[in-house]
Amino acid sequence: MKILLVEDDAIQLEPLKTALTKSGHGVDAVQNGETARRLITERSYDLLVLDWMLPNVSGIQLCQKYRQLGKSSPVLFLTAKDTIQDKITGLDVGADDYLVKPVNVMELLARVRALGRRSPLWQGDVLTLDDLELHLMTLTLRRHKQAIQLSGREFQLMEYLMRHPRHVLSRDQIEQALWEWDMVPESKAVTILIHRLRQRLQVVGTEDWLQTVYGMGYCLSVPEPAKP
Amino acid sequence: MFNRSRSNLTTWFTLSMGSLLAIFVAILYLREARDRLQTFDRTLYNISRIMAAGVEDYFYEGQQRTDLGNVPVLGSDTLPLSTDLFFARWYTQQKRLLQFIGPVPPQRLATPSGFQTLTAHPRLTSAPLHLRQLTLPVYQEGRLIGYLQIAASLAPVEESLRQLRLFLVVGVPLELGAIALTGWVLGGKAMQPIRQSYQQLQQFTADASHELRAPLAGILSHAQVGLMEPVDPQEQQTRLQTIADVAESMSLLVSQLLFLARHEGKLSPDMLQTVHLVTLIHPLVEEHTLQAARKQQTFLSALPNELLLVQAEPDLLRQALVNLLSNAYRYTPEGGTIELCLLHQSHWAVIHVRDNGIGISSEDLPHIFNRFYRADRVRSRQTGGFGLGLAIARQIVEAHGGEITVESTFGKGSTFEIKLPLLQKVR
Repeated sequence: MKILLVEDDAIQLEPLKTALTKSGHGVDAVQNGETARRLITERSYDLLVLDWMLPNVSGIQLCQKYRQLGKSSPVLFLTAKDTIQDKITGLDVGADDYLVKPVNVMELLARVRALGRRSPLWQGDVLTLDDLELHLMTLTLRRHKQAIQLSGREFQLMEYLMRHPRHVLSRDQIEQALWEWDMVPESKAVTILIHRLRQRLQVVGTEDWLQTVYGMGYCLSVPEPAKP
Repeated sequence: MFNRSRSNLTTWFTLSMGSLLAIFVAILYLREARDRLQTFDRTLYNISRIMAAGVEDYFYEGQQRTDLGNVPVLGSDTLPLSTDLFFARWYTQQKRLLQFIGPVPPQRLATPSGFQTLTAHPRLTSAPLHLRQLTLPVYQEGRLIGYLQIAASLAPVEESLRQLRLFLVVGVPLELGAIALTGWVLGGKAMQPIRQSYQQLQQFTADASHELRAPLAGILSHAQVGLMEPVDPQEQQTRLQTIADVAESMSLLVSQLLFLARHEGKLSPDMLQTVHLVTLIHPLVEEHTLQAARKQQTFLSALPNELLLVQAEPDLLRQALVNLLSNAYRYTPEGGTIELCLLHQSHWAVIHVRDNGIGISSEDLPHIFNRFYRADRVRSRQTGGFGLGLAIARQIVEAHGGEITVESTFGKGSTFEIKLPLLQKVR
């Protein structure tokens, strides 16, 4: 999933970002409320993880803005504000979950997974396209009896493609989905990643499912069986 | 919670004041009623005396005769009285009826002398009438000549008392209402300082809780992520160091919080001793000159020769000064200047800590001594500031009976001033 993580304390921000990234999510980690506000307007995310007490713009305001923009992805508050009234305020302003710091990282990851299931695109902890399975928990591709482990980036690309099967996805869209907001990938980065992913797909015999649509982008779909 | 206390206070106040009021009003009413009746009786008595004075008793043709001709009301050529009598009767010495005006009385006088209250029913359908009856034995030249019995309606008295009762029945509840309202208002005013101090405590608890949770969250997250697969010893090394640093910083925060909690209010006298200020400050000058050198800062000091004594707790006073000096060090860039002076101004010892660092903006200035207030949240969090140093300094200075103030220009520098009352020489 593509996650926006907003936390003003660097000491708390880094481990959370690492934990989410290690679980295979793409994380935009920001410390500044203003930057966060800009990002939620300009980019799309599958989940927001917000701190409440931020300088300038508060987490509450960010959540309100997000809902005002009509976006429906889940929002999780991760904050030191712990009274019942705080929880009520946070949830009523549009959040889907509310966790009080300090939080057990394993619990956070489990809740993030739980919120991921709410997405209309959720198809289970396994994404399937025909007989190809992508296991989200273990970052493996399986087909018939064969399985292959994917690297973080490969997995993210595979997940993105499998969540939008038969869609032509442009290079820009892929970059936005995979790279952090303040990182500009090299011009060939996407090409190289597609190439690497094809090599992985070759192991399970589906490399021709990942098609290049010249001038437009890439598409993942099951090819028509050749007519006799 | 405060509203409930306020309601309780108002209720008890109204009940107690109201009861006192009600008792007092009742006593006044009863006295008034008794007085009015007494006045009425006196008037009735005066009438009877006037009437009795008109009775002539004489001896004629071998018989004692009573002439009532000149008696007002009863007599034939009467002078009308100003008061309406319900009836008037004259009885002989033998208590036999001689003459009467009004309803037909019994032939013999049966009632004793003096005042009595009667109930008359003039007509069967109308309301009962209350009468005050006076039976007066009349003497002439020491000899009893007969009995005069008169009665007047108590209606006027009853009417005026009824009006008084009506006034009280309306007035007393209104008064109770006014008492309740006053009680409510006064209660609110009385609770104002308590409420403020309660809110301050709530705010402090919320801030402290937030400040403590942040480092805890950092420690927990770093530890748990460090244990996540795949395990990287190098990364773990870094994480452990971070955990150690955060734990130390948190320990400092806890010390500061405990300090604030323990040293609320004035210092107890057995903690105070006579402190020689120059002796106290001198070692600080040395320490901070060394510290300032690390940032190529110039540390100046001006301590007078004279003996300046204060009644103080030396460790606390030192802590306050250290807090000011640390801030000066932290918020003054490389090559800046920090100055520490001690002066004698009338009966105060004045300490100045001046720097030409980043200064404090005019919007931050009024809040700078508040607990957890940080003028620059991002920077001071990184350098380990919790916003408590100045709050602690202020608490210490005020506990010593002194004052702490600040002047600052954003971008130019700040001057903190501590004033402490000098020990008055007894000899």
